[in-house]
Amino acid sequence: MQDTIEQTHPPHVTFWRKVKTLFVKIPLLGWIVGAIVAVLVERLVGSGFASGLGLTKEPALFGLLIILKTPSLIPGALLYVLLIYMLPTVAVAWATALFANRIAALLLKKHILIAVLVHLGLLYVVLHFWADISGYRAHTLKLALIAIMVTLSLNIINGYMGEFSCSHPGFMALGAYTSSVFTLSLFTDHRFFGSAVLPEALGPFLFPIGLILGGLVAALGALIVAIPSFRTRGDYLAIISLAFMFIVKSMIENMEFVGGPRGLSGQPRWADLTTIFIWTVISIWIINNFVRSTLGKALNAVRDEEMAANSMTVNTRRTKITAFLFAAFWAGVAGGLLAHVLQYVNPSTFGIQKLAEVLAMVYFGGLNSVYGSIVGAVSITVLGEALRPLEIFKWIIIPLILILVMIFRPPGLIAFKEFDVRRILQPRNTPKKEVKDDAA
Amino acid sequence: MRRGLLIGIICCLAVGLIFSGCGKKEEPKIKIGFNIPLTGDIPKVGEGSKFAAEMFKADINSAGGLKVGDKSYQLEFIYEDNESKAQSATAAALKLITQDDVLAIIGPQSSKQAVPSGEICNANKTPMISPWSTNPNTTKDRPYVFRGCFLDPFQGPVAANFATEEFGAKKAAVLFDVASDYPKGLAEFFKGAFEKIHGSGSVAAFETFTTKDRDFSAQLTNIIKSDADILFTPQYYDEVPLIVKQARELGWTKPILGSDSWGSAELMNLCGDDCKGSFFSTHYAAAGAKGATKEFIDRYKEKYGYVPDDVGALTWDSIRLLVQAIQNTGGLTGDLQKDRDAIKDQLAQIKDFAGITGNMTFTPDGDPVKCAVIVKISQAGDFEFYKSVCPQ
Repeated sequence: MQDTIEQTHPPHVTFWRKVKTLFVKIPLLGWIVGAIVAVLVERLVGSGFASGLGLTKEPALFGLLIILKTPSLIPGALLYVLLIYMLPTVAVAWATALFANRIAALLLKKHILIAVLVHLGLLYVVLHFWADISGYRAHTLKLALIAIMVTLSLNIINGYMGEFSCSHPGFMALGAYTSSVFTLSLFTDHRFFGSAVLPEALGPFLFPIGLILGGLVAALGALIVAIPSFRTRGDYLAIISLAFMFIVKSMIENMEFVGGPRGLSGQPRWADLTTIFIWTVISIWIINNFVRSTLGKALNAVRDEEMAANSMTVNTRRTKITAFLFAAFWAGVAGGLLAHVLQYVNPSTFGIQKLAEVLAMVYFGGLNSVYGSIVGAVSITVLGEALRPLEIFKWIIIPLILILVMIFRPPGLIAFKEFDVRRILQPRNTPKKEVKDDAA
Repeated sequence: MRRGLLIGIICCLAVGLIFSGCGKKEEPKIKIGFNIPLTGDIPKVGEGSKFAAEMFKADINSAGGLKVGDKSYQLEFIYEDNESKAQSATAAALKLITQDDVLAIIGPQSSKQAVPSGEICNANKTPMISPWSTNPNTTKDRPYVFRGCFLDPFQGPVAANFATEEFGAKKAAVLFDVASDYPKGLAEFFKGAFEKIHGSGSVAAFETFTTKDRDFSAQLTNIIKSDADILFTPQYYDEVPLIVKQARELGWTKPILGSDSWGSAELMNLCGDDCKGSFFSTHYAAAGAKGATKEFIDRYKEKYGYVPDDVGALTWDSIRLLVQAIQNTGGLTGDLQKDRDAIKDQLAQIKDFAGITGNMTFTPDGDPVKCAVIVKISQAGDFEFYKSVCPQ
């Protein structure tokens, strides 16, 4: 239907092309500035505007929840999203495009690090103001950021290394428990670990140490899986890693000093949005560098043909173990953050359900791709929250979407795409031809 | 054509907007959130809670609303599915508090969701009543969190005393799931109480298994060999039939004692004759109930086709507690935080509340002091009231 319309009405095609060319010239900086304006507009007039539209409050997740729960409010929710988010973003981004391009070029010319930091700082402003409207938004955003870390780390094994590992919830559990024990025993009076050893004021500064410790313990766990299994591939590794996940779960269930099946609660509230944002950015940065390094390329070689890689002087065993431990480390850190967001951990959180969730994020977003991991993690987290009003149908719709993705895009939505920071940040006002001319 | 489409959409939006504007009636409402497992491992629990809540809401709203001070309010219940997961339960609690602006929250039912949600509610200064969670940590050091049931440290001794007095048991055997927090906690409290009466070593067999195990013959053989006088198994209704049947097949003829997790309508469908004659401690007895309890059970059964589980009755009581507290505030100010604080203060002061699951008085911790009921499974398969045990 769509095709026939566009074929019989060529003017519209050109119209959309024109629209497209209008936006092609806006750099990322412009979009971020637009988004800042949008969230500021929401902050200033959001609640008044919402009540004017018949909504009780600013819609939490871009109106998705309202649309599903009370269909009579659909127009209000759509208008809100259109006028509060889309209109200011697009208008400002378009209006400042020239200016933003100049600044983007200037920043890149100075140093890429400066450019990245400026962009990230502005992005954080957007997220902060957006999440500030309600605690629910902040919570969902935190869970989405943590999901990005987990998905990305699993993508190292399942995407870049081409294995099928099922032990990620186990690594997360190790990280979650280690960092929880660290913070609970050192900084709080807890019934299992006695009174606080260090003043609580020091806590937020030493919290990263707890997270890193959690990551290291998870990596140690990964070593235990890796040693007996590095000779196996495919199904065998999947089974061994699945077994590892269950071992971790039942081990914690039988460890009385961390509460057994009752779990640990009372973790201090240190995992705020800033902390999680910084950790997520660090993880994306390090993992992206890792997969683009020689080691990452070796990983791809191992995936494509292990024998050939071996004969081309790739130390396959070391490559595989390094990647495995590296992925487990980040899963452990993410687990530690999750424990401090929920302020509670219990072993049954890290079971087969968590595994299915993480695998869905990886395969939905796309294998072998940082973009894909971000898209997969954010969209599955937001879908999971937004579709909750549908209750049981949520568990039909999400798998259905996954099936459709697997049929039409088997490697995932954005698979095998390199995450090149310089290309993302570069100004968009120079047409490609001119660049070529310059080069010539 | 494209422009026509655009105009059409705008028209639709405008018309919809007008209608949605009309739909907004200026009627004062009291919003209460429900953080319950409508999907996941125990959807029956969520369903029971929701049905009880719907029944309550229909009662109040058809009678012209809830009178608080000199104003009448309609009740609005918002059901949020926590999927029986800790992570979703915290998200659901935050959504109810910060997005839906509810006055108070009922639920979550299981401890593994109630403990983290309690933290969220307490930090956001919103009253929460968990009807079913028996873990002491749910309400501990949380002034805003309450519960509608007794705790495991009370139920364990009740079962131990009953075994001693009723059967003259000198030695007991316990079979429980070591990977599930509720059975494990209760088994330990039972063991502590029983050994306090009969001396250490009187729990002759303390056998464990792991969730989803279906064969208990090894543990049951040990239990039979241990020469215990009674078997205590605080398991859920899907495991109890397997345990009881296998025990009978292996030749266990002595009494079997259970806990409140037995009390599901499903139990007798799965267990058949083998469970008849067993006892369990619980919150209320459906068969032979009197007064308000009977009225609730009959109406529920008529409306939804089955006898309500204890979780339905506890939810009913929790809502009534909350409504009582709201009425006791003597009038709502409209300032959300002030009202939430007032409700919390009133909940903590409730004394001798006559619930359908017994009389309740809250301790400073937010836990009710209430009686447990010992139920006998009759030859007809009904849960018959046998005895009531109250805390001293």
